[in-house]
Amino acid sequence: MPGPLDEPEGNWWDQPINRREGMWLGIAGIWSVGIFGWMSGFTRFGDQNPVGETYHVSPDEFRETVQGYKEEADENEDGHLIPPDDSVYIGARRFDWDGLPAVLEVDREYDIHLGAYDVQHGFSIRPEHTLSKQINLQIFPDTEWIIPMTFDEPGTYHVICNEFCGRGHNGMHGELYVEEA
Amino acid sequence: MLGKVASHFGNDYDADGFRTCSITGLDIHRSAENHVKLFGLTAVVALIIGGIFAVTVALTRWELIGLVGEQDYYTHLSMHAWNVLIFWMVFMEIAILYVGGSMVLGRRLPLTVLAKAGWAIMVVGAIGINWSIWTAGVQEAPLLTAYVPLDIPMEFYAFAIVFLLGTTIAAVPFFATIWLEKRGAVDRTLPLVTFGAFITSIIAVQAILGGLVAFSYALIWHLGIIDTINTGVYRTLFWTIGHGSQQINLLAMITVWYFLTHVVGGAVVVSEKVSRSAFVLYLFFINLGAAHHLMVDPGLSVGWRIFNTSYAFYGAAFASMIHAFAIPAGLEAGRRQRGLGGGLFGWLSSAPWRNPVFSATIFSIILFGFMGGITGVLMGQMQLNMTWHNTFATVGHFHGTVALGTTLAFWGLLFFVIKTMFRRDYISGTLASVVPYAYAGAMGIATLAMMYMGILYGVPRRTSSVVENIPGTDFSLSAAVPLMTIFGIFAVLALLAGVLFLLVAAGSLLFGKRLSDGDDGGLLPDGGYSTDGGESVHAIEMRGTFTLCMVFLTVFVVLYVLNWYLLSQLWAIGA
Repeated sequence: MPGPLDEPEGNWWDQPINRREGMWLGIAGIWSVGIFGWMSGFTRFGDQNPVGETYHVSPDEFRETVQGYKEEADENEDGHLIPPDDSVYIGARRFDWDGLPAVLEVDREYDIHLGAYDVQHGFSIRPEHTLSKQINLQIFPDTEWIIPMTFDEPGTYHVICNEFCGRGHNGMHGELYVEEA
Repeated sequence: MLGKVASHFGNDYDADGFRTCSITGLDIHRSAENHVKLFGLTAVVALIIGGIFAVTVALTRWELIGLVGEQDYYTHLSMHAWNVLIFWMVFMEIAILYVGGSMVLGRRLPLTVLAKAGWAIMVVGAIGINWSIWTAGVQEAPLLTAYVPLDIPMEFYAFAIVFLLGTTIAAVPFFATIWLEKRGAVDRTLPLVTFGAFITSIIAVQAILGGLVAFSYALIWHLGIIDTINTGVYRTLFWTIGHGSQQINLLAMITVWYFLTHVVGGAVVVSEKVSRSAFVLYLFFINLGAAHHLMVDPGLSVGWRIFNTSYAFYGAAFASMIHAFAIPAGLEAGRRQRGLGGGLFGWLSSAPWRNPVFSATIFSIILFGFMGGITGVLMGQMQLNMTWHNTFATVGHFHGTVALGTTLAFWGLLFFVIKTMFRRDYISGTLASVVPYAYAGAMGIATLAMMYMGILYGVPRRTSSVVENIPGTDFSLSAAVPLMTIFGIFAVLALLAGVLFLLVAAGSLLFGKRLSDGDDGGLLPDGGYSTDGGESVHAIEMRGTFTLCMVFLTVFVVLYVLNWYLLSQLWAIGA
């Protein structure tokens, strides 16, 4: 009987398929379509989607925008920024986060504007006491990404960079405080 | 010394340069065999270099040891990545193309000048890449990705282009083999292993073209020919080779699975139609998986991301699930035909588990599927990617696919080649038998630890510290320390298993007893190389394989639900 090193004999295309292999094909096919459907559907009914408007912007333009935002924002007694409205600007640069620390209100939807001044960075954020809750987003130096977020639990959220941005990347850390209104 | 090396490139060939393989019965031509050895041995050199840097990288991430400081860590990580993820794999894959082409078809290797030229250019490229990483100085190490606009040495991009051009040239003799075989015989069908190698080579061309464009784009920007470079465009281009190269590994590995389960386990092909259709699905859809790396990038539409990350409605994941049934089913059917083992799993329990070729192949199949395959689909779902992207779990995923799946399959192939092509017996059969168990066990646990650290503790990849110490802050991810300790211990054990593999392989080549002509070295499957007809293959019971596949699906579903549950616990994000 021919094996995988031999030319198959006769009309191999019309050979019947084993019953259980046929069943597996059906199961695998349904699973494949099913997980596609779930992923696609979740963009309509789910609350966690990495989706937001993006704009092409030069690093200098974005830096100026963040500077303007910081001048407009209030500061609390610790010197942490309180955004003037629903827009929060965070500029990644080697090796810190411009615009952090910031203070946000719990259960309020903010537009988080993410961008970078130099190279690519990784926006990796988690609450201090529940490390399994974490979100990771890529940041470009030539793009502004506006992602809405609504924090539903108060606490300290830590942001670390998780894209290699040069020697010094290890210490790129910032904080975001979510407080009751 | 040179004489010793040269002696490994000689076997007893007839006047036309052919000999008959004592196991497969294939007619092997000297030209094909010697070039397979050349590329295979070069791959092992790359594995050794990359393996040395695996030691320094693992012992740095295990912060208890903290071997290398941050200043040098990225250099070590770059060396590790390029040597094991690219050079070890790609040199082996050229060898596999020559096996799947000339050897299986019983032909001489055509255009050997191009094979040698390709090899030489690849070696120049590989040495140049290593040199440019090691001498980056005040500039940054490229890691695997060489993301723009980091200040990475321009020479790195140039040598990457050289390496890819060399690979393309080295593949030309394979394409010529297929052309010569099919010329005037369009109605004939290629053997399944050759067909798999052919599909592998086509997706390799797609990947290499993307890589050439990506590295050229970065190079002309470094040269000042263009003023600006678009981050997102580079990333999209880069990942056609960055992920595409791993898809080449996948297809080469699956081709090796069909090959080795057959030659040492007695597997048959349960359906040519189904297995070939799965390869064709790969041809069209697998390289769309490059988009997995872009799921949390700005600037890409939802429709683009969902279509591409799902390989067009999971066409390629479906293909992998087809192979997940077809390959064990081939083993089950082939062994049942020979009357080897009854019951649900007798065909499996009676298999040659002491033969390292067999055990390495089976561990490769199981660990690739359960660890690399499932996690690949999970992290490739657009929303779940937010919890996987650039975490240590990602590193766990590709150690499941490459360090466990592909590397074990290629070790199995090398164990096979030591006996069948170099014609040497293992220096110690017992130690050779131990290698796949030790490596699969230790690396499997280290890989699981990486995945858990990434998902449950958000430990990032590509840092030399952060679990116990983030410089400049009291905050740390120290809750992950117990898992990091498990990772460290088992990574060290896996490395020791790797050293054992190299000692057995090199020891066998240098000091192993030469096998006489016709000696199969104990590799032939029980019941003979081929079955003699009898019951049609499609009518044979495959309930053992079906049961295994249902176990696989159950694990897949459970992990899928758990990952989505974790995601749903997060705060609201996204428009």
